[in-house]
Amino acid sequence: MLNAVKKSATLSTRILRIWATLPFLFHAGVAGAQRFPKPDFESGYKYPELYYAIPNESLWTAVDITLLAALMSVVAWAVIKRRTRAPVVVTSVISVAYFGFFRSGCVCSIGAIQNVAVALADSSYVIPPSALLFFILPIIFAILAGRVFCAGVCPLGALQELVNVKSYRLSKALTAALSIIPWIYLIFAVLFAVTRSGFIICRFDPFIGIFRLGGDIGMIVFGALLLVAAIFTGRPFCRLHCPYGALLSLFARVSVWKVKITPGCISCELCHNACPVDAIRAPYANKVKESRAQGVKRILLYLLLLPAMACAGALTLRVASNSLSRVNKDVRLYDMVAQNEATPQDVQLPELEAFYGQGGTVEELSRRAATVEADFRRYATAAGALMGMVVGFTLIGLSLKRTRKTYEINDAACVHCARCFSYCPQKK
Amino acid sequence: MGHNIANPVSRKKFLRLCGSIAAGVAAASISGVLLRRALTAQPRYFWQIDPMKCTCCGRCATACVLPVSAVKCIHANKVCGYCDLCGGYYRTNAKDLNTAAENLRCPTGAIERKFVEDPYFEYAINESLCNGCGKCAKGCNSFGNGSLYLQVKRDLCKNCNECQIANVCPSGAIMQVAYDKAYMLKDA
Amino acid sequence: MKKKIFRNIAIVSAIFIVAFSAMLITNYFQVRGFDPLQAEVVETLKQINDENAGNVKLQEQIRQLDLLARRAYFVRLDHLRSGVYIMVAMLVVFVAALRFYFAEEKNIPGKQISPVDDWMEKTLARKYVAWIAGGLVAAALVFVFFTAPFLKSGTDALMGQPAGDVYAAAEQSAAGEGENVAPSAGEDTVENTADGLAESLAEAVGENPEGAQEAQNPAEEAASVSAPKVAHSCFRGNNSNAVSPARNVPVKWNPTTGENIAWASDIPRHGFNSPVITGNKVFITGADEQARELYCYDLTTGKLLWTLAASNIPGSPSKMPETTEDTGLAASTVATNGKQVCGIFASGDLICADMEGKRLWAKNLGVPQNHYGYASSLLTFGSLLIVQYDNSVAPKVMALDMATGDERWTKSRTDKITWSSPIIAYVNNQPQLVLMGSPSITAYNPSNGEQYWRVEGLSGEVASSPCSAAGVVFGASEYAALIAVNATTGQTLWTANDFLPEVSSPVATKDNVYLATSYGVLACYDAQTGELKRSHELNTEFYSSPIITEGKLYVFSNSGKMFIYSANQSFDLLSSFDTGQKTFATPAFTDGRIVVRTEKGIYCAKVES
Repeated sequence: MLNAVKKSATLSTRILRIWATLPFLFHAGVAGAQRFPKPDFESGYKYPELYYAIPNESLWTAVDITLLAALMSVVAWAVIKRRTRAPVVVTSVISVAYFGFFRSGCVCSIGAIQNVAVALADSSYVIPPSALLFFILPIIFAILAGRVFCAGVCPLGALQELVNVKSYRLSKALTAALSIIPWIYLIFAVLFAVTRSGFIICRFDPFIGIFRLGGDIGMIVFGALLLVAAIFTGRPFCRLHCPYGALLSLFARVSVWKVKITPGCISCELCHNACPVDAIRAPYANKVKESRAQGVKRILLYLLLLPAMACAGALTLRVASNSLSRVNKDVRLYDMVAQNEATPQDVQLPELEAFYGQGGTVEELSRRAATVEADFRRYATAAGALMGMVVGFTLIGLSLKRTRKTYEINDAACVHCARCFSYCPQKK
Repeated sequence: MGHNIANPVSRKKFLRLCGSIAAGVAAASISGVLLRRALTAQPRYFWQIDPMKCTCCGRCATACVLPVSAVKCIHANKVCGYCDLCGGYYRTNAKDLNTAAENLRCPTGAIERKFVEDPYFEYAINESLCNGCGKCAKGCNSFGNGSLYLQVKRDLCKNCNECQIANVCPSGAIMQVAYDKAYMLKDA
Repeated sequence: MKKKIFRNIAIVSAIFIVAFSAMLITNYFQVRGFDPLQAEVVETLKQINDENAGNVKLQEQIRQLDLLARRAYFVRLDHLRSGVYIMVAMLVVFVAALRFYFAEEKNIPGKQISPVDDWMEKTLARKYVAWIAGGLVAAALVFVFFTAPFLKSGTDALMGQPAGDVYAAAEQSAAGEGENVAPSAGEDTVENTADGLAESLAEAVGENPEGAQEAQNPAEEAASVSAPKVAHSCFRGNNSNAVSPARNVPVKWNPTTGENIAWASDIPRHGFNSPVITGNKVFITGADEQARELYCYDLTTGKLLWTLAASNIPGSPSKMPETTEDTGLAASTVATNGKQVCGIFASGDLICADMEGKRLWAKNLGVPQNHYGYASSLLTFGSLLIVQYDNSVAPKVMALDMATGDERWTKSRTDKITWSSPIIAYVNNQPQLVLMGSPSITAYNPSNGEQYWRVEGLSGEVASSPCSAAGVVFGASEYAALIAVNATTGQTLWTANDFLPEVSSPVATKDNVYLATSYGVLACYDAQTGELKRSHELNTEFYSSPIITEGKLYVFSNSGKMFIYSANQSFDLLSSFDTGQKTFATPAFTDGRIVVRTEKGIYCAKVES
């Protein structure tokens, strides 16, 4: 038997069988390369039957989606209705085991952003249904019940949640300022996705190497360091990197059902202290001697500056767009070919060998590269403007003064980990 | 700001309701548009190597995210010439047609050779030893019928959203194929 | 007590993890970086064995080493796999032990936490955001600054080399921004920071467009800073294949009125050869009874940079061979590889100079017996110079080292005298040197002169050169045929003889072959079948060869009328205009410019500024 896969087809795989009796078909290209005739066997030799395993993808997709929706429902029920943490931990274990280690972390909602971006930008790209559902289901749940996906359904969040032992606090000012990073990461990811230059979220996923027990050593080391950090502080990846978390926080702000502070709160501060992601805001009376007029002036200034920041961002990335476009394979190939055309080399790179071997014309390649470069110019300008606006809106958000009488939950930041509930003395 | 305590609450609620509706509409419309397209056309999902484009550069062996690449050599018996002097099995200047190391091309000894009848020999790949370097495929393409060629083994491949091998493939041979066309076989 | 145990477990497992991960990483690099299967020693030994057979001792050694290498590879792989499992298990132990250790300690504050000052934090956060934003902009500009010079993409007006000014300006403004932000950071009011940011943003906004405009200035200054990327290294462009990768090529010019003309110049001595371009230099030759000279012009200004005379060459004839008026002594186009440039004359004198005009070497190849005058152009292939020397006495093709003039290989030919020029055709990744002769088209290995294939079918006086596309070679001579050869197998695919060129050479794309005849017909054949797709009778004459660039076919008629056709199926006339100067040579193309040799002089057309 030629291949390792045995004849017994399991439920999870179907078997592609090469029939020995199938008429002898050639691709047009093979016919050209056929140097030796098909032998005439006299000893009654029969061609071996070959089997190649194909995973039953539709089955696995169905399992994935069902589990995704079921786990999110469980978290929503546990956190909103029951106000208890145990089911969240169980969910986390299941998610890490199944989505993480068993399914190797692919497809994940964070990466699906890029598939959706490509699908929206390029109408000829057909998005795999699993990617679409992985993208849209957590958003739907976020509109209904906040970031239940982050709680323990996302294998990356779940892994950090499970290893977390202590929650040492980072400077709130710093984390607030660093919260623009996920947005910038998101914008870059979409930029590279729509120009078909690569999926950077997938390439720089810190935990995928851990789930697969192998892969790029640099990313594994980065992932391990993040994980060590996650032992001592709450979810560093979710707070400071995750682009999907940034997206979900938008929807979580307006969710229908929210996590609430226990009615009859005695302001004991325990929940505020227990929150690993700083999502509980303490009561606060504004004691700063700053006149209202000055505050309004500042906000107005930022509003006026907003277009300037957008322009500055747009301009910066437009200037950088040509350099950025070198990430694209076609552009890189064009550079190589152009260099070779200028000074032909005796020994050629595999890229050039393949290019000339496939009968590629420089002219067509140059046209392709020019299209990509133009795309980059256009999209990078938009991306830069968006980044400028992210900075502007963050500044405006940080200029709003609000007096709080009671503890409040910041729905955008709350990841529904349910740690706070067990701390509340008013619960029982 | 104490003079209108009641008002801000209802205003906040109203704004939040508007936000919910806007978010819902946005999510629904995006999913509607994409879902309609996803249902009308078949998505290309599996990564696979087009053997017509592959130049057997050897990067499959090192670029895969798995410790041992999911790309393996496979053999199309019905394209094979069953040669004694096999360009995939033997090095270019092999002196004797035996199993001595100095004559063999495969660095891991993953090709098995079996006598069929004079002058034909059957070749088979031992997948557990193959590391997808493509040396034999290159030899077979240059000197033989091209019956040895590289394919992504579906049962091993993690089917990453973005294939790392595709990123470094010099010939653009790694492409996404439809669900029902998981392999690009030369003899099927 | 229990707590202590868990603490100890945690400490031990942590030490284990750190030590073990260091080992794993080393092992990883050993497996991936140094591949035992590629071990150089074994490879070298195998090669030695290839050269001298029957060394039993050596073979034994190879077998032993090979076995060791395989074992090492698989054992290491196995170690890596089990190591990773152990590692994961230890991590689980570590986290579990830590958990138990901290189990009783909830996050209960030991003492009263001082009340949070929300506003202070926000104020601080605003400052950080400003820093981060400024840092990002600076990082982006530094990134651009460091990547741009190495990219050398001269294609985009905004992003081309002159944009270096933009980066410098932008960097300055970024630096200014840093200065503005830094001092204000010490002050407690945020307004200052914001003002500083606003100022520096305005500065950046104000300064960048200026820089951008500078960058968009006409190519005059651009090219003085940098040379275009695309070379035109020999007759009919790189590989002599008549397809140019140049972008943004002019579509309209007029030397009489000066419209879109960068410069025009006289050439001291006469010649029918074509200009070639490398970097910012244009090379061309001229010759008469008195002297044979190689000229170098500046692509930007048209200034004659240097002249090198082919004199004092051993073996050079004292009296020039007889040539006809329409061939002359300098019909062969020069070739350059960007480091050296070589020119050949009808006297058999071959000279080579560096880019500054210093003569590197010169030799006489023997006066060619040629009743019109030697006319084959030179060709470069890497460091090799290919000379097709098909005269009527001893036709041959040779490859010389461009730097030294040493002969690398030479191959005698059986074909009769020709005036055709060699090309390099890329077939299945491999370069083939293709020559036309009478009666054959022959392909050689350009590295060693080994013959790949030979197809007969031409006849008469062959002056046109071959061309290739997608693994097919096309060659034509008048009164014979247009032949398409599958360069993989050396089989003739088809022949056609509706319209055939005499002097001008054909050009091919993947789908079509185009040619221009001496009696004024432009024809387009299907590259697959040889079917005549379209022809235009233009009532003129074509000696100059068509060149395809950016999907357009450019060809000069002898009277100097430029025709631009779409290089596709439909082969439509896109534009035509009279330049008013007789043109027999084939123009040279580079980004944004075309250099044309006319009967009397040379001029450079540029894109509209």
